[in-house]
Amino acid sequence: MEQLPLLSVVTFLPLLGALIIAFIPRDNLPAIRWAALITALATFGVSLMLLAVFESGAAGFQLMEQADWIPDFGIQYKLGFDGISLAMVVLSTTLTWICILASFGITDRVKEYMISFLILEVGMIGVFLALDLFLFYIFWEIVLVPMYLIIGIWGGANRIYATIKFVLYTLVGSLLMLVAILAVAYTYQAATGSWQGAFDYEQLIAFGFDPTLQFFAFIGFFLAFAIKVPMFPFHTWLPDAHVEAPTAGSVILAGVMLKLGAYGLIRFAVPLLPDAAVEWAPLIIVLSLIGIVYGAIVALVQPDLKKLVAYSSVSHMGFVTLGIFIFQEQGLHGAVMQMVAHGLITGALFLLVGVIYERTHDRTIARMGGLAAVTPVYAMLLGYFVLASLALPGLAGFVGEFLVLVGTFAFSPVAAAIAAIAMMLGAAYLLWMYQRLIFGEVSDFLRGLGHHLTDMRPVEVLTLAPLVVLTLVFGLFPGLLLELFQGPVTEWLAHVTPEAAVGLR
Amino acid sequence: MTLDQNTLVAIGPPALVVVLALLLVIVDMAWPARDRLLTWVAAVGLLLIMAATVIIGPLPGIGLLDGPQVVFDGAYVRDSLTTFLDLLMMSIALLTVLFGPDYLRPRGLPAAEFAAMLLFAITGAMLIGGARDLLLLFLALELLVLPGYLLAGYAKRDGLSTEGAIKYFLLGSFSSAIFLFGLVLTFGYAGTTRIPDVAAVLAGAAGGAGSLAPGLLMGLALLTTGAAFKIAAVPFHYWTPDAYQGSPTPVTGYLSVGPKVAAFALILRLFVEALGDLKADWTPFVVVLAALTMTIGNLVALSQDNIKRMLAYSSIAHTGYILVGLAAFGGAAVGSAAEQAGLEALLFYSAAYVFMNLGAFACVAALQRRPGVTSQLSTFAGLGRRAPLLGVLMFLFLLSLTGIPPLAGFWAKWYVIQAALQVGGWLTILAVLTMLNAAIAAFYYLRVGVYMYMRDAPAGARDVNVGGPTRTGLGLAAAMTIFIGLLPPVTTAVILMAREAAQALL
Repeated sequence: MEQLPLLSVVTFLPLLGALIIAFIPRDNLPAIRWAALITALATFGVSLMLLAVFESGAAGFQLMEQADWIPDFGIQYKLGFDGISLAMVVLSTTLTWICILASFGITDRVKEYMISFLILEVGMIGVFLALDLFLFYIFWEIVLVPMYLIIGIWGGANRIYATIKFVLYTLVGSLLMLVAILAVAYTYQAATGSWQGAFDYEQLIAFGFDPTLQFFAFIGFFLAFAIKVPMFPFHTWLPDAHVEAPTAGSVILAGVMLKLGAYGLIRFAVPLLPDAAVEWAPLIIVLSLIGIVYGAIVALVQPDLKKLVAYSSVSHMGFVTLGIFIFQEQGLHGAVMQMVAHGLITGALFLLVGVIYERTHDRTIARMGGLAAVTPVYAMLLGYFVLASLALPGLAGFVGEFLVLVGTFAFSPVAAAIAAIAMMLGAAYLLWMYQRLIFGEVSDFLRGLGHHLTDMRPVEVLTLAPLVVLTLVFGLFPGLLLELFQGPVTEWLAHVTPEAAVGLR
Repeated sequence: MTLDQNTLVAIGPPALVVVLALLLVIVDMAWPARDRLLTWVAAVGLLLIMAATVIIGPLPGIGLLDGPQVVFDGAYVRDSLTTFLDLLMMSIALLTVLFGPDYLRPRGLPAAEFAAMLLFAITGAMLIGGARDLLLLFLALELLVLPGYLLAGYAKRDGLSTEGAIKYFLLGSFSSAIFLFGLVLTFGYAGTTRIPDVAAVLAGAAGGAGSLAPGLLMGLALLTTGAAFKIAAVPFHYWTPDAYQGSPTPVTGYLSVGPKVAAFALILRLFVEALGDLKADWTPFVVVLAALTMTIGNLVALSQDNIKRMLAYSSIAHTGYILVGLAAFGGAAVGSAAEQAGLEALLFYSAAYVFMNLGAFACVAALQRRPGVTSQLSTFAGLGRRAPLLGVLMFLFLLSLTGIPPLAGFWAKWYVIQAALQVGGWLTILAVLTMLNAAIAAFYYLRVGVYMYMRDAPAGARDVNVGGPTRTGLGLAAAMTIFIGLLPPVTTAVILMAREAAQALL
């Protein structure tokens, strides 16, 4: 019997849900909300099935689905997954249902909101599973439109500026990436004499492009991914987008969308163009270090809670790019681990910021204070994730940054020292923020809210509970995740490092 | 010359369109002011003629003709390119005929003359597609543009419409004259008006850039200028915004695609087929024109507050993208695969552009159905709530124009870029410039999205009621915008048709 095409199912199940929602009358809010939640949970379920059928240690991609799409140009519909994509897919499906549950309070244009979220999920999962460059690009761009709407319609006061900025930044990068993709594909076509396989990921990484092409094509790929990550100095869209986006939008933005960029670097940019990656690596490492330190310093002085978390993302994601471009086993393990951990922890932090914003309609740190007395559960959960974010050993955030530091130390002790100092800064801005928010006297502003300032509701705790558990589990047993990555990481390094080992010494 | 069966078959599609136009006039005389009846007669008639065109061929794998059919002593040819362009032009006519009446009737403008004039113009466009003679080319061009002037001034009591029509007419005649002068000089050099003969004579004249006889060089310069006027390439674009803004909106939609695609057909027949051997001489101009056209079109579009003007400048930018395909043909080595890819890209882009651009204009027209509704951007405020379906469609067409996958506009850009990259060198830079321009363009397309979805409707905004024919047309345009890229059979069919059509030229 033909096996169920699980990867297509997990990718397009949310689309089915979106279509169903399109036919529900717009006034029937409960039906729309529950349909969206059930779809997201079903997709989550299917992604867990992927986890069950995954054979760890097997080489290459699994459950491959392949069909011709536009044979005239060798474009295929090709999906497949390995340990890294699996972790990213499960992260996306987890955060999506959490976000939808957390968005039950949305009352304006619920139908469009839920449809946007589900289409967003299609794009995100598709990016992590696509093994055809063309298909990958399509999913990559599909992500853009729902996010544009989510920020622009349901965002804060300055949402239109933020959403246009977000789209334009991302688009400049991705359009140049399209040129690079086509240049790579055409070079392949010119060398082999046929379009067959010209967009096929596995064919292309085995091809070996000449250094000049690699050098220029890498710029295209790198810009697209670096803007998405975002790396310093391409990060300026991020604080605006994060601050203006609705809570769930911020969660997805930080939790998954930033990972799209890092995943693109790992999956596409480096293996396709290994020589150029080595050539550009010193610059990228420097930019990563700047990002780590700069993000932390800027976060230190943010008066706005959400902006603080946004800048902390710049710092944390710097560890990811650093881990990738030192071309080294611990480094890459750490980078992928950090992607997962950052998705969970920063996602949770944005949810917590949303909780306080919903009650106070304010995010100014200076106006808060003494929350421990008023909302003890909130204080506890925030404390948990603050500690996780500053990489307390035993929680997930520690493993990733620690592994990257180990890898970086082997590469250059100076770089490792710089990154470690930034980690201290991280502790500083997070603990200081926590202190100003939670401890001390209850501020006048909060006192003025009176009974509006309630503690966490059960449903809010429910949205955070899985994140609490996963952060702890991956912190205590990182082996669960690292085992998934072992196969792909080994292959990746075998593919890249022969050049890198020479190039970086 | 005899009017035998072969001739009749070859000339069938344009001849039938003329018959249909006359039929419409007769129907209008017999049952005056029955606009709806007329619209459906015209639409069904066009669909039947399109079916007949497919049956006649030649198309890849189907059609009565299995090769080019040259008739009228070599003045007209029905080959794959003719068929491709015929189908495209009739699609334009079909959509415009559907979009017209819902806008015209509330303003007391007759639909019958509109449809009849439109069909005469389309006949001209179809004749350009098959012209193999410089004289026929010019006559067909005039048949295309003369009804266009009338259509632009169709709302004759509206000052803007009249102003736009006069500007269009003056610059149109001016450019036609320039173009004709160029044809004369070319004729003077070649001594013949038959395109294959001209090509044969010029093949001997081509000895690389700068080696041409002064008369021929002059002719080439005038022809280039004339053609650049017709496609509205920068810096010959100044008539466009006024003509587009003033015309009744369905006419604007037609003007933004019909004459433009027809002018590209003319470029294919003239520059590629007749002057193809001189491409070393004209390609540098095309590269510069393409770069200027897309960049300036987009930059000026950024600051427009009137949607028709904005779409006018956006159509200028798209002209620039289409020109990249021509530049790829010009820059490619003779006989190389890239030469073919460039022409394919040009044709594919034209096809995608027709549906998404007409669709966008139709949404504007639908919104303006009630007389007095302006075409200011603010008209779109809150449309997503007032008319959700119309909003979604407009958003779809705008995304396609931006080039977001998997919509038609994305495939078109993709096609053009890959052709340019095959050539390499300067064309690579042009490809990068195209993509940067696409990012600029995203700003003003998305601004409409901002108005539709992120701003509230002005107080007292009334419901939008979209008429039946417009709905049908919007459905067709949206289906093509989605399926050209997403549905493999459709994609393959369009690619194959464009490929065969391009081969017909080489």
